[in-house]
Amino acid sequence: MDELKLIELAQHGDRKALSELVRNYEKTIFNFSFKICRNKDRAEHTMQETFLSMVKNIGQFSGQSKLSTWLYRVVANHCLMLARTESKSGFTSFDDEDALIDESSVADWKVTPDRVTENNELKAILDEAIQKLEPEYRIVFLLRDIEGLSTEETAKIVELSVPAVKSRLHRARAFLRNELNKRFENERL
Amino acid sequence: MSDYKTTIKTEMPTCKDVMNHICDNLGEELNSPRCIEIKAHLEKCDSCQHYFKSVDTTIQFYKKYNVELTDDAHNRLIEFLGLKE
Repeated sequence: MDELKLIELAQHGDRKALSELVRNYEKTIFNFSFKICRNKDRAEHTMQETFLSMVKNIGQFSGQSKLSTWLYRVVANHCLMLARTESKSGFTSFDDEDALIDESSVADWKVTPDRVTENNELKAILDEAIQKLEPEYRIVFLLRDIEGLSTEETAKIVELSVPAVKSRLHRARAFLRNELNKRFENERL
Repeated sequence: MSDYKTTIKTEMPTCKDVMNHICDNLGEELNSPRCIEIKAHLEKCDSCQHYFKSVDTTIQFYKKYNVELTDDAHNRLIEFLGLKE
């Protein structure tokens, strides 16, 4: 059954349709939540809150945007709210944007991403690098580069202008690449 | 392209210009004269090719790093939502 029909049924109280919508998106939302917060328990909590919001508010869903966009927005807002509550310090600031590109530090990486999920050492390196990025930058990087949304869709979800999204994406890409370069320039994992 | 790139440039791009361009525009199909110059530089420059590869690999790492949603987590979700049959 197509998604619009499922939404229509769910809006009229069809629990099977709601369950099917949850099933269609739970893996995507769990992974997106994990990629922001890098913690499985928190990712599960965020997933639960996101779908609870969907169940409560499905009646207000107008269909003008995709359901996935709506769900990504709920996850992003929830994670940002959690991050602000914790007010964790230690994130990297980008005061000197020009220093993000260092043309003297360019190695030919020998690592490949093929077996990342089986390599705990590699996963720890990836977790450590992305956790240095402020959540606002992390979310833009994940929506645009990992989830494959357009710059315009990303801008709508995070409620920023397109140039602001591009600026954050540039910094996030350069920063993460630099962090990994420190570890991979001389290593095979 | 970003403001950085739309500055009118008549000189050939430097490695730093190319690396900035990669971080700005990776994944976009751009065909402006400046982009064509950037691509020409990239084809000839090992250092910029390595940089391009490292940014692309960075994205691939995070794309492929996924976690499994267990059956238990699925069941807890359905119960939490009151959708259990």
